[in-house]
Amino acid sequence: MSDPAGVNAQMAMIGIGEYRVGSFQMVTIGLGSCIGLTLYDDRLRVGAMVHIMLPDSAGRKDRPGKYADTAIPLLLQELGALGCKNRNIVAKMAGGASMFEYFGANLNIGERNAEKVREFLLTEHIKLAAEDTGGKVGRSVTFLPAHEGKVSVRRADGTIRDI
Amino acid sequence: MNLSTVQKDAIQELGNIGAAHAATTLSQMLGSSVEMSVPGISIVDIARLGEYMGEESAAMVAFELQGDIPHGGFIIFYITRESAIRLTNTMLGLTEMNRPMNEMDQSALLEVGNIMVSAFLDATAELLGFVMLPSPPALSIDMAHAAMQSLIAQSTDDVDEVMLFSTELVCSEHKIDSDIILMPEHKTLQKIIVLLENMMKST
Repeated sequence: MSDPAGVNAQMAMIGIGEYRVGSFQMVTIGLGSCIGLTLYDDRLRVGAMVHIMLPDSAGRKDRPGKYADTAIPLLLQELGALGCKNRNIVAKMAGGASMFEYFGANLNIGERNAEKVREFLLTEHIKLAAEDTGGKVGRSVTFLPAHEGKVSVRRADGTIRDI
Repeated sequence: MNLSTVQKDAIQELGNIGAAHAATTLSQMLGSSVEMSVPGISIVDIARLGEYMGEESAAMVAFELQGDIPHGGFIIFYITRESAIRLTNTMLGLTEMNRPMNEMDQSALLEVGNIMVSAFLDATAELLGFVMLPSPPALSIDMAHAAMQSLIAQSTDDVDEVMLFSTELVCSEHKIDSDIILMPEHKTLQKIIVLLENMMKST
């Protein structure tokens, strides 16, 4: 596959609970029940990506990117500091799967994560333009803010789909 | 989460005994010898889990640890997709490598995982006098990171790092490479350490 960003372009790998803000390429690998959420401002061509693991922080403040309820306000604040307006920000998300059927039946964290993200985006009046969530499948996400905020989702079988 | 050298040695010995029993059952199922690595202990920050386990396709048979501690963590039989096909081919008398995995493969993997993990936990229970029972197994054949991440998210403790005890089991004849990974929750780990320390004191 050709790499339009070029070999010298910066690339950030975003681990569980981490987030980045900027116009460089951002990648999260192997999302199961976690959510890879991207926020993108088309006017300023900047974006943010976070790798959320759980819906609720229950008051914890030390890793805000890990929880849906703390990650979204934080990313909006960081984008706001760069001059982004909420009305120009578009969100996309992937993940929220249930990798193990037996455990998933008891406690579907993936679905709860996705639901919490939708709820928070709605509260903040952020448009959710696309999502690829649920099922029993792992996903890796590549986000290219410099290329119109392109978001590609790759699965274990090698298929890649832009959302 | 810090362990002293003595505690690490003790846990390694426990892993050694558990994995040796699991290796014996695998060897019996394959009718071939199985070599075992020295058990490794990794303390992994969840943000860095990708360095431990990545996008590679693997079959993972996961069991929740139950028994004396109700939600004690997880124990996982991990096998790369290629090795998984070789394993089920050997068991089912097949040779085709480039084939999708079907229900027969899935039940074979669940069964192998079940037998190996039961052997592991029986051996550790006998040694410690502390019972960790496996839940019914759950299988994922997909990106390794995605499966592991989902188990961590399901832990009852909201953790930033996990402790993984991993032993590699290799069958050279059939080129099968697998791991048994124990991921205890904090309370299980504490309990195991206390029991091991008492054992060392009494000998």
